[in-house]
Amino acid sequence: MSKPDPMKTYATHKCRLLRVYGLTEHEKLFLFRFDDSEIAQSWRFMPGQFVELSLLGHGEVPISICSSARRMGFFELCIRKAGRVTSEIHKLKPGDLVRIRGPYGNGFPMDRFYDRDLLLVAAGLGMAPLRSVFLYALDNRWLFGNITIINSSKLGKELLFAKELKAMRDIATAENIEIIQTATRDPDWGGLTGRAPMHLDKVNVDPTKCTAALCGPPRMYKSMFEQMIALGYDPRYIFVNLERRMKCGVGKCGHCNIGTATSWKYVCKDGPVFDYYDIISIPGLI
Amino acid sequence: MRYVKLPKEKVYEFLEQLKSMGTLYGPKKISEKFYDFREIGDVKEVEFEYNRTITPPRKFFFPERETVFTFDTVNVEIHETLPTGDPIIIFGVHACDIVGLRIMDSRFIDDQPDPYYQTRRENGIIIGLSCLPDEYCFCSVRRTDFVDAGFDLFLHLLPDGYLVRVGTVTGHKLIENSPEYFEEISSEDKDNFAKFEAKRRSMFTVQGNWDDMRYRLELHLDHPMYMRESDKCLGCGNCTLTCPTCRCYEVKDLPTLDGAGGERVRFWDSCQFRSHGLVAGGHNFRPTKKDRFLNRYQCKNAYCETTTTAYCVGCGRCTYFCPADIQFKENLLEVYGFGGGA
Amino acid sequence: MILPDHEIIEECRDVCRATVGVYVLTSCYGCQLVMATVQKIMEVANLVDFKCFYMVSSKSSLHEPVDIAFVEGSVSTEKDLEELKEVRKNAKVLVAIGACAVNGGVQSWSEGDLDYDKLYASVYGNSKIKYKGLQAAPIDSYVKVDYYLPGCPPEEDEIMYFLSTFLFGSYPEEIDYPVCAECRLAGNPCILIERDAPCLGPITVAGCKARCPSFGVPCIGCRGPVPHDNSWFDSLALAFRNKGYSKDYIRERMKIFCSHDKNLEERLDKAFGRKK
Repeated sequence: MSKPDPMKTYATHKCRLLRVYGLTEHEKLFLFRFDDSEIAQSWRFMPGQFVELSLLGHGEVPISICSSARRMGFFELCIRKAGRVTSEIHKLKPGDLVRIRGPYGNGFPMDRFYDRDLLLVAAGLGMAPLRSVFLYALDNRWLFGNITIINSSKLGKELLFAKELKAMRDIATAENIEIIQTATRDPDWGGLTGRAPMHLDKVNVDPTKCTAALCGPPRMYKSMFEQMIALGYDPRYIFVNLERRMKCGVGKCGHCNIGTATSWKYVCKDGPVFDYYDIISIPGLI
Repeated sequence: MRYVKLPKEKVYEFLEQLKSMGTLYGPKKISEKFYDFREIGDVKEVEFEYNRTITPPRKFFFPERETVFTFDTVNVEIHETLPTGDPIIIFGVHACDIVGLRIMDSRFIDDQPDPYYQTRRENGIIIGLSCLPDEYCFCSVRRTDFVDAGFDLFLHLLPDGYLVRVGTVTGHKLIENSPEYFEEISSEDKDNFAKFEAKRRSMFTVQGNWDDMRYRLELHLDHPMYMRESDKCLGCGNCTLTCPTCRCYEVKDLPTLDGAGGERVRFWDSCQFRSHGLVAGGHNFRPTKKDRFLNRYQCKNAYCETTTTAYCVGCGRCTYFCPADIQFKENLLEVYGFGGGA
Repeated sequence: MILPDHEIIEECRDVCRATVGVYVLTSCYGCQLVMATVQKIMEVANLVDFKCFYMVSSKSSLHEPVDIAFVEGSVSTEKDLEELKEVRKNAKVLVAIGACAVNGGVQSWSEGDLDYDKLYASVYGNSKIKYKGLQAAPIDSYVKVDYYLPGCPPEEDEIMYFLSTFLFGSYPEEIDYPVCAECRLAGNPCILIERDAPCLGPITVAGCKARCPSFGVPCIGCRGPVPHDNSWFDSLALAFRNKGYSKDYIRERMKIFCSHDKNLEERLDKAFGRKK
């Protein structure tokens, strides 16, 4: 067995920002391209994985990749302006350079999604990593059964990728895709209201042969799990994508540590995707 | 394994020999009660019978602060500042600390190797030294009181010198290069080695095996010990900073004044600090002192597959260097069921 | 990690020069002295325009707008207060620098114990002074402070770090752990454990690399309490009590630089019980 190259562990690549799209008041979508053509050709990721984005002098942040794994040499990051580095990223203009490490994390086990229906449930920023799963399913449509997306947020104007999903309605109907967008606390919102679990009755998937991917705040998981299991979803096929403070991305710096003495995990390395049984065996995970 | 004897009168000469091979570090007495690994100028300063050092040996391979790269913000280029790989020799490492280093290896070499750590580790020579436990030691219940690997040479105290175990090819070379310091062991030496080991084992204040400690802890996450003891805690992080297996680090960018460049530094962090679990947006995954206190007890008792031991090696530093006098071993025993509790 | 609610200075390399003011209220001018004598002062002077810096230029003015204002000293007179308000009005970013501005300094020692009028009378008797005095207070008692750079005096490397991050269009990271941690990292023997010294390292915010304990001198707490209520006066008082120190002694020592900390009395009471 050849030894792994230690220089690859933290290797960073120069990336150029190509376009910026405003999504909501606090979130923007950034399209990057690798500067080096060889890296652009060889760089791959799986949905659910993340990169560490460096703005030299400001710092580094972990961001889920939200584009299609099929698009080679390019990738998109949906970034909320929340801290020191992300607020600087929001100031970037097309043509600016950043440095990227990764991809890191386990990502969703996509082979366990094949030949099954797909349910995606997102709350808030959760739509970012799930968009990558959704685009993967679209790119490989024949590998998946019916698909439902439940996209939720507090206010209607905070729904991530709402316009994109809305614009897909016609294709969606033709492709057996159900798109449910709901605002939980928005009196001015004309669409569906109520939290994501309330809309499980509108899905077009068969619980017994469906894989589900969830991403949102911890309290959403608890109520989702209860209802999904009651409806007959197979817990082996329920996955969540978690957020923690991930500084190194490779299970070393310790900030994303979670669990108890028999189940000590690094979210960045052992996750960020966990299945239902991980969640119930590792206290503190959600 | 090969065994040789280093007679007492040859010890300092051997240390001089080691010094000529690179930078020699060893335990030194630095105050009335405390010892620390320091660079050895005069070999007579080496303290052979020390209880524990303030800083753990991991600092030689994973320094408390290091520049990982310098950067150029104009061209968005980075230049890694890898260690030079100068040889270092660490003399007098106790068995528990050697296991500590192997636990560090499991995270920093075995899996997605850290180039900074690995370079230093590959250029380091570890010379172990036997010891007798004090009341803070509980390495025996952690199964780290005797090591089979992780050292180049290991010196076991005999009445008239040391019985030396040779652990690696580097160790063999050390012996081959200076045969005049070593002799073959006698049957008397073997008896004395056995006697020392028997004496050492009898001296531990806790006996038995704590392999099931992690289950006991997990079954009592709500044990009142955590609240009571974390109340005493100063949140100073001494327990983690002196721990031979704690490895959390924080990263920070330091731009130069003119903004054209700068460096990215990493430095030891502690899970006992507030910002450890803080994410952008202000949410803290470990908001209270008790959360952070509990976190350390769980982490240290988790299982390291490489060494098949807990992450805690039982060196006693977290108690010995705790300004608030919080007793890690006693607290664990309390939850385990020997000292009352829930 | 929470977004700052003030304006972040735009990085203006080669295009413009950031304007900086260094102001003094009631203090010893020690912070200014350190700022004026940093090794890279010439480099700093080439990069910024000092609109006010009494120790360096007699052309200093309080009334010009600045990007960054460093304010030294506690508010101890009405004149201090007027000046402080003027500075705040003119500054994009305001940094409290030094023990006095950050925590009120030693002149706040008696805070909560002695009445201002009694203090005045014992010093000046019946004579009048030019300005009306106030009970010494940290500047954030009166104006919004964006960043705190503690120390008596502040450390040069911290001053440089603050300046470089501001000029880069960023802002300094806050320290929320105590001197005690830095002391252990320095490999110092613990004087609290070894000599029962009344060292305030465990409650004092880090940044000085354990300057005093490194020389065997117990920390007096000049950098002030660890922020975000993480200064555990109660736990340290308990440790001191076990070493034979009285509540009065501990309180007096902790009050030297922490007298304005809202947790101090409550946490001391927790350690000793409310009754004296």
